Amino acid sequence: MHPREGWSEGGIRRRPEPDEGDAISRRQLLGAGAGVALGALLAGCGSSGGTGGTGGAGGGAGGATSSSGAASMSGGIPLARPNTPVKWPIYSSNKPIASGLKPEQNATLQIYNWVAYINEAVIKNFCKKYNCKYQLTTFNTMSEAMAKLGTGQLKFDVFIPTIDVLGPLVESKLIRPLNQSYIPNIANAWPDYRNPFYDQGWQYTTPYSIYTTGMAWRKDKVNLAPSWNMPWEGAKYKGKVALLDDYREGISLALLRDGKLDLNTTDPAQIQAAGSALAQLSSVNIRIDNNDYTDVPTGKTWIHHAWSGDMAASYQYLPKGTPIDVLGYWTPPDKKAPVNNDLMVNLTGGANPVLAHLFINYMLDVHNAIENYTYVGYMQPLTAVTAPRLIKEKLLPPQLSSTVVLPSYFREGLLELELPESANLAWEDTWNKFSKGL
Amino acid sequence: MRGSSRTDHRRGRLLWIGLAAPGAIWLLVLFVLPFYAMLSVAGGGINAFFQTSVPIWNPLHWSTANLSMVWSNIVGSGAFIGPAMLRTLIYTGIAALLSLAIAYPVAYFVSRYAGRRKALYLVLLIAPFWVSYMMRMLAWIDLLQQGGFFNKALSSVGLPGNTDWLGGKSVTVILGLVYGYIPYLILVLYAGLDRIDGSLLDAARDLGLSRWRTFWRVTVPLSKPTIIAGTFITVLPMIGDYYTNQLMSAAPGTTMIGNVIEGQLEAAGQTGQGAVLSLMLLIVLLIPMIYYVISTARASREYA
Repeated sequence: MHPREGWSEGGIRRRPEPDEGDAISRRQLLGAGAGVALGALLAGCGSSGGTGGTGGAGGGAGGATSSSGAASMSGGIPLARPNTPVKWPIYSSNKPIASGLKPEQNATLQIYNWVAYINEAVIKNFCKKYNCKYQLTTFNTMSEAMAKLGTGQLKFDVFIPTIDVLGPLVESKLIRPLNQSYIPNIANAWPDYRNPFYDQGWQYTTPYSIYTTGMAWRKDKVNLAPSWNMPWEGAKYKGKVALLDDYREGISLALLRDGKLDLNTTDPAQIQAAGSALAQLSSVNIRIDNNDYTDVPTGKTWIHHAWSGDMAASYQYLPKGTPIDVLGYWTPPDKKAPVNNDLMVNLTGGANPVLAHLFINYMLDVHNAIENYTYVGYMQPLTAVTAPRLIKEKLLPPQLSSTVVLPSYFREGLLELELPESANLAWEDTWNKFSKGL
Repeated sequence: MRGSSRTDHRRGRLLWIGLAAPGAIWLLVLFVLPFYAMLSVAGGGINAFFQTSVPIWNPLHWSTANLSMVWSNIVGSGAFIGPAMLRTLIYTGIAALLSLAIAYPVAYFVSRYAGRRKALYLVLLIAPFWVSYMMRMLAWIDLLQQGGFFNKALSSVGLPGNTDWLGGKSVTVILGLVYGYIPYLILVLYAGLDRIDGSLLDAARDLGLSRWRTFWRVTVPLSKPTIIAGTFITVLPMIGDYYTNQLMSAAPGTTMIGNVIEGQLEAAGQTGQGAVLSLMLLIVLLIPMIYYVISTARASREYA
């Protein structure tokens, strides 16, 4: 459920200049981890013991409810949903830091992030300002990150997790509640993020990147109206059609094609129907990879299930002489598309909580966020970061303005959230059978 | 006299044990321990909180949950691993034969007919190793594209030049495997063929065998252990390879066992199943390995 899933270190260090023709650098990524899955780290937290979670998700304790979309308790941890928001507890043994503290001196800020998911120039500027050193450590999958954090041996200060692991992070006290007085820049974020459903009152989190899922296509090669149905209409384009290598995205695509808007469904019939729909794609010789940002511009793939942040960077991989106009990115105008965002949190294991707060604040600064965007391609949900501005600053060609996420997407879009364990297994199983079994 | 030779002998033995120790420790630390860790993961459980695998170190407590899950995916009603296994066998089988057909003549030529240029040819054979495997594979993407050099070359000699080689084709995967691993095979074959005593071949010719029959009756039998060794050295990594496949095809229809394992290792909570599958693969690969050890032992006894 994350665009950086399975990316390996040694891939891009920076985005190539538009005329550099350096498409290979991103391809080096061992990308495209098959089968994938970080989705349900949370699913079925049998060992969590007790109901730590309070707030809106008071539903039936223990075990998954089969009613799709409803927030349910899974072994004591509430499943946050837009219609059943969660306010996490603040434990007496894990309080926020005091206000007005001085930043740690001679410190090394430890950041734990996805591969190629932050502009190191921004971190360097931060360290210049606060006179600290930094160390950036990367992970490839959320499972890997959670496994390592779970050992309790790591001393990281700032971590960039997905929404679905928030429950375990809070309940295992791996993250510290934020002292909001250090983070005035939250005012720059979309207003929704001052009270997101997954963390009411933003007690533990601020937002990092936000992105939609949609369809990318070559307008010069494909004569189809963009829709979720494109891969199924691609018989003429055999071998030129690809899906994202991600179990949540893959099955969600099939659900959306059939007009099913609950992307967190636990209904076995719906999951199975999605699997059958995917199986039909063998007739177009479907491929499964996460190279949407290189394969569409280079013409290896003409129709690609894609992420907005990837496609925002895709024009830089166009071969010389190919105009940007050939690239298209579509996500439904009615906003019924997968929308996901990442978080910034302060880990309790780190030695520099004050610097961590200041860093989180620094990343919510508009100028810094835009500098980060120039490298990452994924935008942060700040009110001032708009398509016209990015276009005006020549950071995004107008042809790809559809890759910019609007605040309304967070409210009206379809988030892929944690599933109860049994449902998650069904999702993974269905995807495995399709992606590995044809 | 005898006494001193015995101490010499003992000292010699200690020397050899001392020399073998680093290798033995290396094996213990980097093979036996990881292998045991893999067993512990395969027989282990899942941390329900983080969905991460929890190895169980005590063999008495190993669970068979992962094993039975994998087994049902191999033979059960919705099995998807079985076809991938079969495909792996077919792909690597064809790739191995093809590699042998290409590599043997090359190695034979270098060892017998290269003359003074032998060193040059050897350097050329080793040259591919200077470029990382990943880069060599990535180069093929550009070459095999629809408007790429390969298609252009085909159409320039009047063949259909608009094939979508990268559109999920088995043949591309097989050729990718051959290309990726053939240098290993050539080098091993060369080393073996070069060692064959030329006087044996002269003797065969003197005794009236034709060139062709000399080759079949003397060279091929003498190079049999080398052929087996070289084939193993190429087939073993081919069977576990997932990156070639991912790059050259990425279609579900060409999935090999390496891709299945990779998928399981990346999926939350399925690490244990990946470990089971890796161990199964290892056991399957052990069978030809044992055959190789026995057959080389027999061969060395025959020629001793």
